[in-house]
Amino acid sequence: MNMEKVVFGFFIVLAMTLNFGFFLGDIDNASHHHVYELYAAITVSLIATVLKFGDRTQVGAILLSTSLAADLQLITAAILWAALQGNMETAHLMVYIVSLSGGALMANFVSVVLLISETISQRR
Amino acid sequence: MNSILFMILRRLRRPLILIIVSFAVATIGLTLVPGVDDHGQTWYMSIFEAFYVISYTATTIGFGEVPYPYSQAQRLWMTFSIYLTVLPWFYAVGKIITLLQDASLRQTIAAERFARNVASLQEPFFILCSYGQSANLLAHILDEKNMRVVVIEQKQERLNELELADTKNTILSLCADAKIPENLIRAGIYNPHCSGVVTLTDNDDVNLAVAVSVKLMQPNLRVLARAERKDIAANMASFGTDTIINPYTLFGDQLAMRVHALGTYILHQWLTGVPGDTLPPPENPPRGNWLVCGYGRFGKSVVENLEQENLTTTIIEAMPDLTECEECVVGSGTEAETLIEAGVHDACGIIAGTDNDIDNLSIVMTAKELNPNLFLIVRKNNRNNGALFRKFGADITMQPTDIIAHECLAHMLTPLLAEFLTLVRDQDNHWANNLISKLVDVVGETVPETFAVTIDADNAEAVSEYIERGLLVKLGNLMQDPSDREKELKLVPLLLVRDEVSMLVPDKETIIVKGDCILCCGTYDAKMTLPASINNNTTFNYIMTGREVPDSVAWRFIQRLISS
Repeated sequence: MNMEKVVFGFFIVLAMTLNFGFFLGDIDNASHHHVYELYAAITVSLIATVLKFGDRTQVGAILLSTSLAADLQLITAAILWAALQGNMETAHLMVYIVSLSGGALMANFVSVVLLISETISQRR
Repeated sequence: MNSILFMILRRLRRPLILIIVSFAVATIGLTLVPGVDDHGQTWYMSIFEAFYVISYTATTIGFGEVPYPYSQAQRLWMTFSIYLTVLPWFYAVGKIITLLQDASLRQTIAAERFARNVASLQEPFFILCSYGQSANLLAHILDEKNMRVVVIEQKQERLNELELADTKNTILSLCADAKIPENLIRAGIYNPHCSGVVTLTDNDDVNLAVAVSVKLMQPNLRVLARAERKDIAANMASFGTDTIINPYTLFGDQLAMRVHALGTYILHQWLTGVPGDTLPPPENPPRGNWLVCGYGRFGKSVVENLEQENLTTTIIEAMPDLTECEECVVGSGTEAETLIEAGVHDACGIIAGTDNDIDNLSIVMTAKELNPNLFLIVRKNNRNNGALFRKFGADITMQPTDIIAHECLAHMLTPLLAEFLTLVRDQDNHWANNLISKLVDVVGETVPETFAVTIDADNAEAVSEYIERGLLVKLGNLMQDPSDREKELKLVPLLLVRDEVSMLVPDKETIIVKGDCILCCGTYDAKMTLPASINNNTTFNYIMTGREVPDSVAWRFIQRLISS
């Protein structure tokens, strides 16, 4: 067993699960989506991105790009939250934020699928 | 460039993760610690506010306590956060700076940038695989002739000299080993605009390696290589190296040409000189017995060539055993006794050809004291000693590096020029003098431009169309001035090559056929005007008939109406 692989897989899967946890719930109900969960999702997603740096394989490149896509949407959601809070109806704001995190969830999902498929293709 | 970016990112993985984690911990903590607002009520920072505070704290900007003065608990957490975040921040900054100063990374960046610049060259260029004395001169002459040059050199100090040099065009350079094929590819041997590779290092093995790699990768690319040893030269030739330059034989050859056929020599120097330079006043060496000091590789070549010219020589050599000299006066030549023994009083000239500049100067100075009528030829090895040689003012100062550069130039400008110069060697001095006076009449005393013109559909559209229509075009027609056909462009055709047959200085009445290659020598204006007149149908029609045919259909129609 390789510790590096464990850490790598852990962060990628954690990024997706946290993202999913935040996404789950009514899209316009603020009490279903906790800000700390989004915060944790962003942090873990950033760490996962950095862990993917420097892998020169084709799969490595796609993994990095999915991570970047997820980061982009999660950070946009966080910026919206910070900038528009108090300026507009909470239910409306929640719709924007949660739908963005839903997009990020797709990217994270692709990332996990790639990770699993790569693992399966290695016959060890 | 891509690979470099990812290389940097990969090396920064650890500091980046440290920053993310420390920022995350500090931010989350700050939102959990209770504070007191201006109404004395408990409040908690939002994540955004906390991130803002941590960001300016970690980067040591420090805006203070916003929006309200902090509670004790918040200050406690901030103290912890400062140590937690500032250290990783500086660690990351330090790491980035170290990375940027990393020699191997800088080398990679320089190489990538060089390759990108070469790839974007849109005009013909030559690759020089060294920047020694000959290559230095060659680069400057080519630059003066508006040809681009790319340099690969291993010694950084030589490249520093290049960077400080005043050149018309940027000379792209890379500090790298030209023996490595990768570097040759970076220098653009696969670039369609690359006209040739010149390798003039003083190391035969390096030259061989370069010549062979270029010929293997790009067999059609012209390669000029310097080779001192015969086996190396043969090896180069077997790989198809186009021009092999042996500095020693070249030197002897040129010296003999100078002694024997001054006109030919001047013609050679003139056509391969820097445009705009004037010719040095010619010195005519006397015939008689010559003293040759130094029987090394240069000396041997000199003696051999002088003997071919039926001149007698006396050799002065310090170490006859080492140099396999059979008949010679033993001594260095710097002392009067040796020179007297060699017969300095009866000799007509002396050639100081050792590889030591100070010895050479000493030899000719001693000889001049003994016999003031001697014709003095001195070999200059190091360009930096130029001031000494100018002060002394020998009759002829010959510098091997200059000779190599001029010889290379003859082959590089156009292959026709090299062929022309070879053919000229077979002509007598009288012929050469006639040609020189003819050239001086047309182009003046400064060094002219030399260029080749091919008569085909690509390079001379109008002319080849004319010939296809079955009309006769004479060489003289090409030389007519397109702005006034009664006048002539200031150029002289030197050579016409048709089906592998060469015609030296073809007559103006020569009929041109398709596929002819013509080597011309003329002013810069003529060089610029000629392609325009032989490619433009209207212009060429005017030259041939004196009538101007309008370009547009409407005008042609009107003209036809008027004339009919």
